[in-house]
Amino acid sequence: MTRRVFRVLLCLAVVALICKACIVRDIPIKSEQTQSVNQSNLSLNYTPPQNINIDGVDYLESQSPIGTFGGTLVNSTIGEGPKTFNPFNCKDNTSSIMAGTMYDGLVTTHPITGEPIPKLAKSFSISPDGKVYTINLRKGIKWTDGKEITADDVFFTWNNIIFAGYGDTSTRDSLYINGELPKVRKIDKYTVNFTLPQPYAPFLRMLSTAIAPKHAFAPAVQKGKKYFDSFLSTNTKPQDFVTSGAFKLKEYVPAQRVVFERNPNYYEINKKGEKLPYLDKLIYLIVGDLNNQVLKFEAKELDIISLQGSKVARYKSLEPHSDFKLYNLGPDTGTMYLSLNLNNRKDNKGKYYVEPIKQKWFSDLNFRRAIDFAIDRKNMVLNIANGIGEPLFTPESLNSIYLNKNLKPYDKNITKSKELLKKSGFYTDKKGRLFDKDGNRVEFNLYTNAGNTEREAIGVMIKQDLEDLGMKVNFKPIEFNSLVNKLVSTFDWDMVIMGLTGSPLEPNGGKNVWLSDGRLHMFNMRTEEEGKAGLLTWEKELDEMMNKGALVTKFEDRKKYYDKYQEIIYTQKPMIYIYSPISIVAVRNKFKNIYPTSLGGVIHNIEEIWTH
Amino acid sequence: MDTLKYIIKRILQTIPLLIVVSLISFFIIRLSPVDPLAELKLNPSVSPETVRIESQRLGLDKPIIIQYGKWAKSFVMGDLGVTSTGEKVSQKLKERIPNTLLLTTIVILLTWLVGVPLGIIAAVRWKTSFDRILTVFTSIGMAIPSFFFAVLLLMFAVKTGWFPIGGLTSPNFAEMSFGGKFWDITHHLILPVFVLFTISLAGLQRQMRANMLDVLDSDYVKFARAKGLSENIVIYKHALRNAVNPMITLLGFEFAGLLSGAALTEYVFQYPGLGRLILEAVLKSDINLVMASLMMGAIMLVTGNLIADILLIITDPRIRSKS
Repeated sequence: MTRRVFRVLLCLAVVALICKACIVRDIPIKSEQTQSVNQSNLSLNYTPPQNINIDGVDYLESQSPIGTFGGTLVNSTIGEGPKTFNPFNCKDNTSSIMAGTMYDGLVTTHPITGEPIPKLAKSFSISPDGKVYTINLRKGIKWTDGKEITADDVFFTWNNIIFAGYGDTSTRDSLYINGELPKVRKIDKYTVNFTLPQPYAPFLRMLSTAIAPKHAFAPAVQKGKKYFDSFLSTNTKPQDFVTSGAFKLKEYVPAQRVVFERNPNYYEINKKGEKLPYLDKLIYLIVGDLNNQVLKFEAKELDIISLQGSKVARYKSLEPHSDFKLYNLGPDTGTMYLSLNLNNRKDNKGKYYVEPIKQKWFSDLNFRRAIDFAIDRKNMVLNIANGIGEPLFTPESLNSIYLNKNLKPYDKNITKSKELLKKSGFYTDKKGRLFDKDGNRVEFNLYTNAGNTEREAIGVMIKQDLEDLGMKVNFKPIEFNSLVNKLVSTFDWDMVIMGLTGSPLEPNGGKNVWLSDGRLHMFNMRTEEEGKAGLLTWEKELDEMMNKGALVTKFEDRKKYYDKYQEIIYTQKPMIYIYSPISIVAVRNKFKNIYPTSLGGVIHNIEEIWTH
Repeated sequence: MDTLKYIIKRILQTIPLLIVVSLISFFIIRLSPVDPLAELKLNPSVSPETVRIESQRLGLDKPIIIQYGKWAKSFVMGDLGVTSTGEKVSQKLKERIPNTLLLTTIVILLTWLVGVPLGIIAAVRWKTSFDRILTVFTSIGMAIPSFFFAVLLLMFAVKTGWFPIGGLTSPNFAEMSFGGKFWDITHHLILPVFVLFTISLAGLQRQMRANMLDVLDSDYVKFARAKGLSENIVIYKHALRNAVNPMITLLGFEFAGLLSGAALTEYVFQYPGLGRLILEAVLKSDINLVMASLMMGAIMLVTGNLIADILLIITDPRIRSKS
């Protein structure tokens, strides 16, 4: 008997010890900690490389301090790795990053100001009428196989690949200006020009598209589009790539990593005239999810990690006695919004997409503004984004160079909300339930995609905020694909919480959202047959601003139109913007020449980064 | 001769089974609201033209039955088709299958080499403290969910730095010597193998112990003992042969699990096996890839059962005479 008791006690003791070992004292959360990753460490004094001619070769010369050669930087990419290494076939982010590392474009983006600056091109100029773009190429720079990069490659890339519709056609599609494509002409070995049917401002940034080596791509193009789709797939041998970027492919191990090594033919040099990049190797580990990424960073297998809001406080407290530094890149390009369905049309069967009673509410500006004032953005930033975010009021993200700074932020104001509702004849009964002037209870569905915890949390908070006004909100997170189906084909939704990633450099990228016949004009989506039916006055104005903004080339002129478009959304509230997350990145201290910027990220100057 | 006939009959029986499996899987995937183009449709910079071309390329503009017909035709011809991103499905599977097989074969070998003897010993030394301690450990092994155990071990690896965090090879693998490569892979395999080993060992050991106890209790064992045979002969010649039959059926299932059994653990350890590939394919409704993996699973299960049956015929004379 005693033996049995003894055994039970022994088992309990073992279990207790195991439990004890698993418990780690929590680090107390201090909300101030999160605020202290300030933006002061953003490098606003970074100078991008400048042109220099040495012995007839047009190099780029790095303006940053001189470093030592060697070393490896290990970055990561989430998901299942690249699907292709062909820069013209990339449909996903990871593939684009890989192709972007391997192939340079004619221009690139200034990491601080966002202006287009020369890359493979030595310089470029735009004719006064904004129609002719002349590109001067660098003399004497080479592909990885030693052949020179010339105007033939540029002409071939644009004429025979992009304009001919090979690979992903989105670049070509967005360049149809009044149904016509720009014309590309080779002037001499180092000069190419593009003639546009009419001025079109977004064109300049499209010149950042990769340039392909003609001698490597021409055989594939000859074999037709179907062959081109599988050309340079992930099964291609690394030595078969002919590339121009700072790093060339060394090894691809499916589901594990992509290894790049330095390109000895790269056209950038440091002040001592030594060829960059400094690093021997650049490795992207392919990690399946965020949790594994964090574990890998903590086990020092990764050198760079982008942190989610909830992790920042812990990393901040670890930073002083660790070998990494946190950088605050400011608000990122993600925008979270609440959209209302303003659709007042019928489907083929004569049934309204949105019930007529709801249509009345949603088309009422007072109703939309009341919702806007009821939403507590600051609270959401604090509770959902752990303070790592910024309230948002405009469709342009906060780091956009076109952001309209005159549109002032405001706080939650429930009294103002109630006033606005009253003005439109809404009233509340004794129980605090809200009715419209015809006596209908205000009740609607709010959707978002299930599984996205951030949006689900926003949904819960919005539901609470709106219930303060007496509205009944049925919050329904549904499967992503079903939601997209509702948004773009069946239109049977009331409100939705979504996010889009915009470009901080080019508002024209959002034209599918804002143009009244755009494919993603969610808040008042029209079928192709409907065309521009039931155009609202401010929608018409929006169309005008988006179209005009694309046709002028000067930044100042464009800004005027894009300021106005933001103002229309700000006052009409078809989409109510909520917040932008701030992106915080941890980088190991051993790396030098790190100049993180909001627009460029951390490794925009990968060729200049060095380590001991 | 009878055995051969039996095998051929069994193989023929699997054909309608596979057709039904493929039909059900295909229709369930296609009828689910998952739209392979959803992400493309929600990307502001993609034109409607591109979406249309893409839907044509994937054959989504045709009725489901025609889509199935097309798939079935190429499947029978041995062509698994291409993934939604245009890569060859067979190539993708070929990249991953060896990794998964490496992991699962090691685990199965280890568990059988350790589990079966442990089960026998536990049964023979029934109710001794050795048996009891084993019971405690195997109960823990059966109770702990594999993904949870895997996460715990990963945290252990982070804290101690003794093991790499998932994966199969180190970044500098290509430059290693043969010995270095061998050690590198072993080093990466220790944790995932440990997880899978602990969990399947528990089940196997319990199964073996139960079978053995049943047999040890039977009359012919008592008779053998009464005859005065040595304990070793009683156990290893008479009892074990009869106790091992249910294990052979189990082995058939283990064979089916060769490719798919470790999916969850593979995912947590970021192991470059089939698990991650197929999970992503399902999420993106990448029909050819999902179908290929489902069919592979079905075929493995059928073959596993067939192998088990054949083995049973060999080991058990009673079945031989019946068939």
